[in-house]
Amino acid sequence: MWKVFSRVTGVGLAMLLAGNAQADLVLSDAWLRAVPPVSPTMAGYVTVTNNGETPAIITGAHTEIAGHVMLHDMATQKDGTRKMRHLSRVEIPPGESVSFAPAGIHLMLMHLSRVPVEGESVSICIEQGPESAVCSDFQVSRTSPFDA
Amino acid sequence: MRKLPYILPFLLMLLLAGCDKPESDLPVNTRLGGEFTLTDHNGEPFSDSDLKGQVSILFFGYTHCPDICPAVLARVAQVYRTLDEAGLAGQVQPVFVTFDPQRDTAAHLREYLPWFKADMIGLTGSLDEIRQVAEQFGVVFIKGEETKGDEGAGYLFTHSDYIYLLDDQARVRKLYPADFNIDEVASDVESLL
Repeated sequence: MWKVFSRVTGVGLAMLLAGNAQADLVLSDAWLRAVPPVSPTMAGYVTVTNNGETPAIITGAHTEIAGHVMLHDMATQKDGTRKMRHLSRVEIPPGESVSFAPAGIHLMLMHLSRVPVEGESVSICIEQGPESAVCSDFQVSRTSPFDA
Repeated sequence: MRKLPYILPFLLMLLLAGCDKPESDLPVNTRLGGEFTLTDHNGEPFSDSDLKGQVSILFFGYTHCPDICPAVLARVAQVYRTLDEAGLAGQVQPVFVTFDPQRDTAAHLREYLPWFKADMIGLTGSLDEIRQVAEQFGVVFIKGEETKGDEGAGYLFTHSDYIYLLDDQARVRKLYPADFNIDEVASDVESLL
């Protein structure tokens, strides 16, 4: 009986783990827009690639210099105006990438404890739920250091 | 009559002096712009007539905007670097008009804007005054819902984000999108100088 229980539990545990398996995310071209020292917010940009075999769900981000980080999208309305909207999640299919870029999806850093200066690097972690995060150093720059 | 060969070069020089600068191809936009009075970053009244006598690059935004506005400000600063290389930057005035007077006070603009360019003019005013100017320039801005607490960003705006090139009579000569081409703007500025 114990053997059966043990096997079932093991399989269940394996299934649970499989269900919770986090996709294999890789961050690249990460940078933060440099802003004046009195600026209350900053925007972060990065390319997130899902090298895993399951869809990745980005649910948020965190960094020690901001009290709160939100996923935002800048959408162009029918009348040409730009509207910022909060995203609760960003899904990346296996093998694909999502670019967090100016005038599009971006990280919005709020409640800054300090404003990092141009040339600095700041660690920011992209979250897949509360238990998993992948981090990268974001270069602080006035314009994208990755533009050709 | 024999003096004509001597006078002719002088007449020619006078004629050329009168047309040494070709007119810009940029048409005057008569539907946008016009007279206005706001408050500058030093708390002083500032009107459209203060822009006359120089070419201006004018745009609207708000300093709590994390994405588009700092990007536009950074690009405008790049235009100035390009103009500076040609020795023309001193003849062009950047002007930032906020549509968030609640947070963008004159004092705040005075701290925020010089980081991008030292002599950038920041304009604020009452909400009614700003609405009026925005309407004159065809600018749309809609204040979003205010959020509170740790989750909150305060409030954001849905807004249009064109950049305006004004000639030395403070007339609108061209509009650019927020991701404007830096060389194009620098070249257009040069055509107005």
